[in-house]
Amino acid sequence: MSHEKRTFEFYVLAAFFTLFVLFLYGPLSAILILSFQGETGGLTFPLNGVSLHWFANLFERQAVGDFGGSFKRSLVLGLMVMIVTVVVSLLAGLAFRQKFRGATALFYLAVASLVVPSIIISLGIGVVFQQVGFRPAWYTSAFGAHLTWTLPFGVLIMFAVFNRFSPAYEEAARDLGANSWQTFAHVVLPMIAPSLIGVGLFGFTLSYDEFARTLMTSGTFNTLPLEIYGMTTNVTTPVLYALGTVTTVFSFLVILATLGAILYVGRRRARV
Amino acid sequence: MTVALERPAIAAANPSKRRRFSHGAVTPYLQSAPLALILGAFLLLPIIMIVVVSFWDYDFAAMYPDLLTTNYSDVLGSWVTWKTYLNTIKFAAIVWALTLFIGFWVAYFLAFHIRTTAMQMVLFLVCTVPFLTSNIIRMISWIPVLGRNGLINSTLVHMGLVPKPIEWLLYSEFAVVLAMVHLYTLFMVTPIFNTLMRIDRSLVEAARDAGASGWQVLWNVIIPLAKPGMAIGTIFVVTLVMADFSTVQVMSGGQSASVALMMKNQMSLLQYPAAAANAVVLLVLVLLMVAGILRIVDIRKEL
Amino acid sequence: MTNTIETKTGISRRSLLKTGAAAVGLAAGSGVIPGFPTIWAQSNITLRQFGTGVSNLNAIADKCKADLGITLEMTATDSDAAAQRAVTQPDSYDIADIEYWICKKVFPSGVLQPMDVSKLKYYDELVPLFKTGKLTADSVIAQGTAPHTVGYVEAQDSKTFAKAPTNWFTMVPTIYNADTLGIRPDLVGRDITTWADIMDPAFKGKTAILNIPSIGIMDAAMIMEATGNIKYADKGNMTKEEIDKTIDFLIKAKQAGQFRAFWKSFDESVNLMASGEVVIQSMWSPAVAAVRSKGIACRFQPLKEGYRSWGGGLGLAAHLKGAELDAAYEYINWYTSGWVGGYLNRQGYYSANMVSAKKFMSEDEWGYWIEGKPAKGEIKAPDGTVMEKAGAVRDGGSFEERMGKVACWNSVMDEDRYMVKRWNEFIAA
Repeated sequence: MSHEKRTFEFYVLAAFFTLFVLFLYGPLSAILILSFQGETGGLTFPLNGVSLHWFANLFERQAVGDFGGSFKRSLVLGLMVMIVTVVVSLLAGLAFRQKFRGATALFYLAVASLVVPSIIISLGIGVVFQQVGFRPAWYTSAFGAHLTWTLPFGVLIMFAVFNRFSPAYEEAARDLGANSWQTFAHVVLPMIAPSLIGVGLFGFTLSYDEFARTLMTSGTFNTLPLEIYGMTTNVTTPVLYALGTVTTVFSFLVILATLGAILYVGRRRARV
Repeated sequence: MTVALERPAIAAANPSKRRRFSHGAVTPYLQSAPLALILGAFLLLPIIMIVVVSFWDYDFAAMYPDLLTTNYSDVLGSWVTWKTYLNTIKFAAIVWALTLFIGFWVAYFLAFHIRTTAMQMVLFLVCTVPFLTSNIIRMISWIPVLGRNGLINSTLVHMGLVPKPIEWLLYSEFAVVLAMVHLYTLFMVTPIFNTLMRIDRSLVEAARDAGASGWQVLWNVIIPLAKPGMAIGTIFVVTLVMADFSTVQVMSGGQSASVALMMKNQMSLLQYPAAAANAVVLLVLVLLMVAGILRIVDIRKEL
Repeated sequence: MTNTIETKTGISRRSLLKTGAAAVGLAAGSGVIPGFPTIWAQSNITLRQFGTGVSNLNAIADKCKADLGITLEMTATDSDAAAQRAVTQPDSYDIADIEYWICKKVFPSGVLQPMDVSKLKYYDELVPLFKTGKLTADSVIAQGTAPHTVGYVEAQDSKTFAKAPTNWFTMVPTIYNADTLGIRPDLVGRDITTWADIMDPAFKGKTAILNIPSIGIMDAAMIMEATGNIKYADKGNMTKEEIDKTIDFLIKAKQAGQFRAFWKSFDESVNLMASGEVVIQSMWSPAVAAVRSKGIACRFQPLKEGYRSWGGGLGLAAHLKGAELDAAYEYINWYTSGWVGGYLNRQGYYSANMVSAKKFMSEDEWGYWIEGKPAKGEIKAPDGTVMEKAGAVRDGGSFEERMGKVACWNSVMDEDRYMVKRWNEFIAA
């Protein structure tokens, strides 16, 4: 295919793709621009001058709320969700390579977890905790609520990976005398590492941005999305946009780091 | 996306055959236990709870365990419910059609017209970045663009294309659909891209050699093979739209209804049994839709 | 993030707290605090409070820490989430900062405990509006869920609201205000005098009301009555027929395109107004101030039918006891001792204890915000930004003029199930 000339189709689709990217970034650039709003400017155009005022303001103490604390909570929660998602989906992925009773039911339960509307899970977990008498908190009830959202993604990805994972490598390793743990650690794990990083990235970002599932499960303290939503009841300044810009940059860094990790793993594997 | 990266290494493997290994018979149970436990505790139990609560009685201040069907007859017997469900399904259908169209062509472009893997990844990530920004902020960011004095309107008026600002850009169903397409297209692009990347290129070559035109290849080879990806994307988009409340609320300026918004209104006055009955109806509907999609495509085999 | 509350203390700590508490009350009351807070600081007491962004201000937590040594952990939510949290997560807070209308539902659910009036140091100074419903002896009690109707319960363990003041207070009133229509004087082009003006065809597609069902219905009721369509027996507690008429009226107006949007949060209302999407809408006083601070003309327009009012208060979580409960009382006494009152008054809200708040405001501030006098100098917001220039007069005039003309309070109706059902119809229409 790489020897063909660029076709008419290519140019049409390239234009379409460009439009799509513009569509994606258009409103984002609006908030990017507006986050540099002058000190007296509002949440909408026009710009009243240009300043870094709102970024400085973001790191000062706000009249209401606590960005720093909620950001920290979301970060820790995201990391917890990430680790558990990676481990649990890897285990489940391995389990599904063999036949076991209830496999189909478990698979469809995972799919159901994906499709049950978030607000229902949130309400349900909230009510269960209340009835049982547990104290809801972001690291218990909200943690569980997030897992019901990230695990299906992880499981589906692992499913896809192992579906197309040739057992020949493992057989070769076993023929060379490796035990099953060695086979897993030295053969299987390195090969699926990039996918695991992908699962981790999914887990982190889905949790980091989860709103509806956290709504009724967060307990005493807000996570970042809840905080942003709470802020809108009182904040009318472009500091919201400054926050948007900063979180976008943060997400961008997370992606770059992930990409770096994948490349690094890939290179190491190539060297072996 | 990482699945896509894996392709070159394992393309030769036969996807449909899964081998059985001679670990102990207990191993798969142990390995799947954490998943089962988590889903049991945080998915099954809450849903059972909701179903139970939906039969409860409630009055002004409290809920009482009971076995009433009035919550359901209230939900199903009112034309508002039907109208709201229709409205939500309408949103789901429009957004689905748009995201499928956009998602397919974007994925197709990335998979078949970009020549190097590195470039594919870069362009794919370009599409991903906005999806990692807070949903709430991404939604709010449309307001300064679409508003009466927003970017689009002021540009159009300034250029003399329209005499006065277009009103229906914001706080309208158009705005809701636009924001949803913006929010959810990636959920369509990713799985389609994934399946397209796994299509054996020799199939395409073979079809060409046999004299198929570009459109015939697309229609008879690529699209049928991309169906699993489309199905997964459809599941994502449809369920997300069906459960949405904040986008509808913010972008329609509160002028449009959705099922989840109706639930939220009931919850705001602490009428949980009514909200729970609504939730059960919504859940059944969504599960039926997904079951329908799964009947057409067995994603378990096609993943 | 510290979820642990170290209050499981021995006898010595308890007795220490008791004496300390009295001293704190004294110190706070007189406004002289220096050197005192050591006892609470040692006790390491943390109180968790949640509520809307309107009153969950970090400045209050800072000042509380400095004055009392009590760490106040505040979580701001939107008003829906606040009601949800109050009822469904009663363990997640110690102090609930909620509005009176939702208190009508929250308190009977048993998540709050009533407070002993005799322990409230400033009870006598509280505005009578919250005790008898009358601002002055001859005022008429407004319709709706007036705070005094849900302000007392019969006994300590009772969940039924008392008809007259008792010794058991459900919540200490903290913040309240009278809402009316906000207008863009530069864009409406005529005098606005009545709630009915929002239905003027001239403003088609340029009006908005609230989308919180319990509050939006009150906006609608004010409009309905002003247009002469109906006369409610009690617009805060409509009958089914009245709800039907009101909602049918709203549906007709919505379908005719009268409304641009229905707003749910403070910022939405500010943006609608500031961006010119809307020229006349139901609004909160500080939102008007926020629009004006952007250099855009905006007026909080008094209307002949009067105001739609709301009030919020602090409630004690049912699980509080011992030292924590003592600390909570102490915090509440401090809250009503003046500094917070002055702070809230300066934002355009009203404090429930005007006597003490006055001591924490300058004469000019008191004159502008409370007495309705023209400002002598610049009027500044608590953060130092200039809100009004010298010579400005507050829209609606003095405290008595405004709170004396309350037509109704935000309400939860007995028929609220039916109301929400019909409200959903309105949104779906």
